[in-house]
This record gives sequence, C-alpha cells and structure tokens, in this order.
Amino acid sequence: MNMIIGVTLKGIFRDRVFQGILTAAVLFLAIPSVSTLSMRQVTELSITLSLSLVSFIMLLLAVFLGGTSIWRDIERRYTFSVLSLPLTRSSYLFGRFAGIAIFLLLTAAVLAVATVAVVFVVSGNYPPERPVAWGAIAAAVGFDALKYIFLVAFAVLFSSVSTSFFLPIFGTITIFLVGGATQQVYDYVHSQAGQALAPLVRQIATALYYVLPNFSAFDLKVNAIYALKLNFQGLVLTAGYFSVYTAIVLFVSAAIFSRREMK
Amino acid sequence: MGARNFILIMSLLLGLYFIILMPFTVYMTSKPYVEKLGIIPRAEVLQVVSADQKQLVGASIITKVVMYFGGLLGTEQSKISLPPDYQAMSRTLHAAMRLDPYNMDGYYFAQSILVWDVRQFMIANNLLESGMKYRTWDWSLPYFAGFNYAFFLKDYANAAKYFKLAGDLSGNPLFVNLTGRYLHEAGQTEMAISYINTMKKSAKNPAIKKTYTIRLKALEAVRSIENARDAYRAAMAHLPASLDELVSSGYLKKLPADPYGGKFYLEPDGKVMTTSKFAFSK
Repeated sequence: MNMIIGVTLKGIFRDRVFQGILTAAVLFLAIPSVSTLSMRQVTELSITLSLSLVSFIMLLLAVFLGGTSIWRDIERRYTFSVLSLPLTRSSYLFGRFAGIAIFLLLTAAVLAVATVAVVFVVSGNYPPERPVAWGAIAAAVGFDALKYIFLVAFAVLFSSVSTSFFLPIFGTITIFLVGGATQQVYDYVHSQAGQALAPLVRQIATALYYVLPNFSAFDLKVNAIYALKLNFQGLVLTAGYFSVYTAIVLFVSAAIFSRREMK
Repeated sequence: MGARNFILIMSLLLGLYFIILMPFTVYMTSKPYVEKLGIIPRAEVLQVVSADQKQLVGASIITKVVMYFGGLLGTEQSKISLPPDYQAMSRTLHAAMRLDPYNMDGYYFAQSILVWDVRQFMIANNLLESGMKYRTWDWSLPYFAGFNYAFFLKDYANAAKYFKLAGDLSGNPLFVNLTGRYLHEAGQTEMAISYINTMKKSAKNPAIKKTYTIRLKALEAVRSIENARDAYRAAMAHLPASLDELVSSGYLKKLPADPYGGKFYLEPDGKVMTTSKFAFSK
C-alpha cells in the first residue's frame, strides 16, 4: 500500500499539480490591497479572502484529484498491471486515497503559511480591534483540509462504481453542496418557521440529516476571522466524526471495488 | 509549420490584437459604470448556495452596496445625481448580515447611511441589537443604538441603557458622560456634532467621509444659529420672529448656507429647521 501512496504522490507532482497551486496562490498577493475595500475590518477581510482562497483551491484539488485518479487508471488499463501485483484491490484503493490525502495536507500546510504571511502584513498596517487569533486560523485551515479529505473519500466511492469521470466529479460536487447545507436544513426544519412543514417532510429531513455528511462542523472561518473562542471539545468530536464517517465510506468503496468486474 | 510561417502568422495575429485593443479599451472605459443593485436571492437560498464561502459572499454583497452608493455620489460636486434606491440597499444589507452576522462593515454602513437617509430607526436598531448578540465585545454597536434612541427616537431610557453598555464594553468614561450631558432637548445638536465627529474620524471610505463632512457642516450651521437664538432670547426675553431678525439685530453675522441646498428658517417653537430637511433633493 505504501508503494501505491508513493506512486500517487509522484503522479500528482509529475502532473505539475503543485505548480498549478502555486499559480493560483499568486492571488494571495492581491489580498492586501483588496482588503482595504473594507471600511471597518481590513484585517478581518484579509483573513476572509485568504481562507476562502485556501478553501477554493482545496475544493478543486479534492474534486479533480479524487474524481479522476482511479478513473484514469482504469481508462489507461493501468489497473490491470497494478492489480496483477501481490496487492489486494482494497489496498490499491486505500493507497490512492491516502496519497491524495497526504497531498491535500501538504497543500494545506503551504497555503497556511501563505495565509499567515498575508494576514501578518495586513494586520501590521491595519491593526484589528481584537488581536488576530493565529491558533484559530491554523485550526480553520486544518479542519478545512480534513473536510476536503472527507470529500475525497466520496470521490473514491463514486470512482469505485463509475466507468467515466462524470459521476465522480459531479457526484463529489453535489456531496460538497449537500454536506454544506444539511445543518441549515436541519436548523430550519426545527425552527419556528419549519413547524409549518408537513410532519413527514420534517421526519425525512431529520433522517437525512443523520445519514448525509455534515460539513458545517469543519467550517471554522468565523472563529478565525473574528477571533472567536474555539470549542475544544467540539473539535475533538468533529475529528472523531471525520475518522469514523471517512472509514465507513472507504470500506463501502473497497467492498464495491473488490467485487467489480474489470474488463 | 516552419519558423518563418510561425513568425509571420504570429505577428499578423499580434497586429490584429493591437488593432482591436485600442477601440476595445475605449469602448470599455466609455461604458457607463453603474453598480446596480438587482434582486438578490432570499437569504436562505444564499446561505445554501454560498456553501463554505458565506463570509466571502457576505463581504462582497456589502462591498457591492458601498460601491453602488459611492458611484451615485458625483465626483466634481458633493451632490447625489440619482436618487439612491435606499430600500434596495437596506434589503441587500440585511441579506448580507444573514450570511455573516459578524461583519462590522454592514452595521457601520447601515448606521452611516440608512439611518440618516431612510429614517428606518427601528429597523436599524433591530439590526444593531441582533448584531450585539454576535459581536459581544464591540462597543460601537450599542453606541450606535444609543445614539439612534437619543437623537432620533427621543427614547432616553433606552439610550442611557445602550450608552452604559458601550461604556462598560469600551472602558471609556466618555459614554457615561454622554448619557448625562446630552440627554435633554437642548443638547441635541451638540450630541449629533460629537457623534458625527467620532464617525468621521474613523471613516476610511471616501463616499462615507463626504456624507459626514456635509452633515457636519449643516449641523455646525444649525449650532451657530441656535447659539445666536439663545443669546437673543436671553437678552430680549422672547424668541426672534425670523432668522433675518437675528441677522439685523446683530446676533448672527450672516445667515449660514445649508450645504444641502435648502434655506434655514425658524419654527414657531424656536427650532432651527431647513427647507432641505437635511437631505439632497431628489
């Protein structure tokens, strides 16, 4: 499996993905001047823009790396040569996932450094009302990375059933949107306004809430931007939720992939 | 393709590009730039589609409103050329605050423009009060709310409550003084001048700074008339019949101009008013 991880990472670097990320990261240079558009919260806006850029880059990576890497192997018939090695199909799948996950963590670390540099410069010129919460910024980037690794697991799941890249790519984007909305839908259904809905709709929405992934927990942008206190216990719970749910998705993918006929 | 052909075709294409670029740039610069406030989706829809970029979407909507307002202020004269669509501005800001209830720019802009010009004080105060639930450390929200209660709504009990909260949060005794010093009818103009001075000092946006400068000028004119009126009343034991009487009797050197283009006059109860109602005519 370590070999597959190595091959995956090498493949990503060979495809010049990292250079692509650095090109997108040039946008960081524009953040200090764009932030001055804010009337009252220049530093806060620079954190917003930096974290949004980090999020966006990682979303693209998760969707495209996660959605295409296994499909490409099958398309180029690499899987035949790979799977003739003394290696189970599941470890091939886990290796691909782990390789992409490690690459995402690496990217997150690089982009976190860029974020810190930008915010440091801006906060020096426009001191914010409250001191910048560096710990919360690091946590926001870290949990963002976890969220996108979580998303990669879904991309792997879709790849394990699909013969083209359409299902992995569009399926992953759909999961991203749905996962971001589950908490809001749940809150709405259980609010005063939601009482007007039919009971059946409310029950279905509640059931879906427990089944579908919940990405809102990973979003710590507000804490980072406005220096709000992090809930340590909540973060531990979120990390646990991430580990268990990701493991479930991966095991389902492995089970499907092992039974799949390769022609 | 040979190197010669490549160079030939490439220089032809580059030549064409430059030929097109000139009129294209002229066309783009002459294109009237008016930031429009169209209909934005309901806040609930926005919350879902902006996924994990709520703060970014919120900030960009607020920037759009500020740009829209800035675009309406003519550059050569401090006159608003088009009547701004205040209702749309208010609606858009409220949607942005649903996305990011922590965004200070939204509260600041609402307080700077919507309170004075739309005069929706209760809506503004509701927005500020909901903001206080999020920005629990920020003294400026209760300060704004206190000012609205005291100056516009004449609700001195609530004003005192919020000024006290602002004082507690900032540790600045000024707010406590505010509560005592200005909460009576006579000190209203003085209170407004000191409030606008505070706001103007921290204003970075040129459009907002301009509106404060104009408002400050108008209020200072009112204060000079009020001072003359009070001096007249102290000496004559009755109110002057008109502002001209203040000038002719020497209490006022000359009638100050209203920066909004109106004319100052005296109401029967002695209140100084202007025909412009402190707003540019639409």
